[in-house]
Amino acid sequence: MNKPKSTCSLSLQVNDVSWSGDVPVEETLLEFLRVRLRLTGTKRSCESEVCGACTVLVDGRSISSCSYLAFEADGKTVLTIEGVATGDILDPLQEAFVRNIGAQCGYCTPGQIMAAKSLLMENPDPSREQIAEWLSGNICRCGAYGAIAQSILEAAQEYRSKR
Amino acid sequence: MLDSLQLVQPTTVAEASEALAEYGDDAKIYAGGAELLLLLRQGLLQTDILIDVKKIERLHEISWDRKTLVVGACVTHQSLATDSSVREHAPSFAYAESQVANVRVRNQGTLGGNLCFNDPHSDPGTVLLVHEAAVTLGSRKGEHEIPLRDFFSDMYATALNADELLLEIKIPPLPIGMNSAYVRLHRYQRPTLGVAAAAKMDNGTVEDIRIAVGCVGPTAQRLPELELKVKGMKIADAKRIFAEQKNYLRDRLRPVTDLLGGAEYKLYMTSVFLNHALEKAVGNGVPNT
Repeated sequence: MNKPKSTCSLSLQVNDVSWSGDVPVEETLLEFLRVRLRLTGTKRSCESEVCGACTVLVDGRSISSCSYLAFEADGKTVLTIEGVATGDILDPLQEAFVRNIGAQCGYCTPGQIMAAKSLLMENPDPSREQIAEWLSGNICRCGAYGAIAQSILEAAQEYRSKR
Repeated sequence: MLDSLQLVQPTTVAEASEALAEYGDDAKIYAGGAELLLLLRQGLLQTDILIDVKKIERLHEISWDRKTLVVGACVTHQSLATDSSVREHAPSFAYAESQVANVRVRNQGTLGGNLCFNDPHSDPGTVLLVHEAAVTLGSRKGEHEIPLRDFFSDMYATALNADELLLEIKIPPLPIGMNSAYVRLHRYQRPTLGVAAAAKMDNGTVEDIRIAVGCVGPTAQRLPELELKVKGMKIADAKRIFAEQKNYLRDRLRPVTDLLGGAEYKLYMTSVFLNHALEKAVGNGVPNT
């Protein structure tokens, strides 16, 4: 049995870029992304897995990066809001959010888009009810829910027509 | 920010047992962190060492041996909600798992972590009581099994000793002819009330019934006295009995007033949801959302 260690070696891909190094055990993925990698699109908010502002995808699955220890991402791929567009070309989800005004203050938007991304990866043709259920853990205090759901419906259609 | 932590990552149950024996109260078992990290951050729990049990392969398995569904402690809620053998042999449990918090928590949180944390406002345990599930606990001294109802000792407390690890949850299917339903009331991420019912009907009367209620008091529990009372009754009479049991439910469930609702409100809604759960169980056995 190994002695307890206070750092872990971590090798992962973040938005298709490799990173390797040591991180303290208690460092959350949110801190790793925002402080170490300066990827500040992912937001810190409730810090209790309720609001969804810190949503990122780890191996395609959405998690709350505020309550996910960074060492857990070893060997995995992480997608954040910064990795959703391809260069200057916005993802259909981002286009649809802009078109429908799917954001007011915008604080929750990275989390909303990452949650929507994971939904469309799993279910390319969601109903409005399935969207509401999947995004029930992403709070928008401005109340842009209608426009968010509409944006996801439109983006889903665009994803499907591109395939 | 979390305070400094140290990490141990055993890869076998034996290694985990050694680590638990050695570090005992200075350590906490880490099975996903969905609950543990919240408590550490809020200062409600202190620990120096995390014993990460997710590297132990055995704890990630779901198996069906034609008699019992065996779920490793580190299987996530999302896996349970979508697994075909779970949906076949314990459909109401799969449904309850699909309702846990939100998809992020379901992707990260594990059944073992959930049961060991024993938050009174939780879904899976209530349905598992109706299945008469058991848990396998392991330590340096070996493994033993206890019924889940004995494992839930109090609010945020279980029968797990400091040197023990929850290994597996054994879920027998319901007896042939018995159908179940789980109904829940929720306003926030955690449920305000959860009721599980399973019933076998014989010519319009309740031949056999199992009922469990969660979230109202300190822990989820079965209601054996109420089950006995409604056996042999027609559905309409059983529902009338449910409505008359306020004093029994108060004594048995010990309702707690909290952010999710007042004690009297929860008691009232328990009667209402006992009716819903029974109706759904005998209707088609498939709970609706």
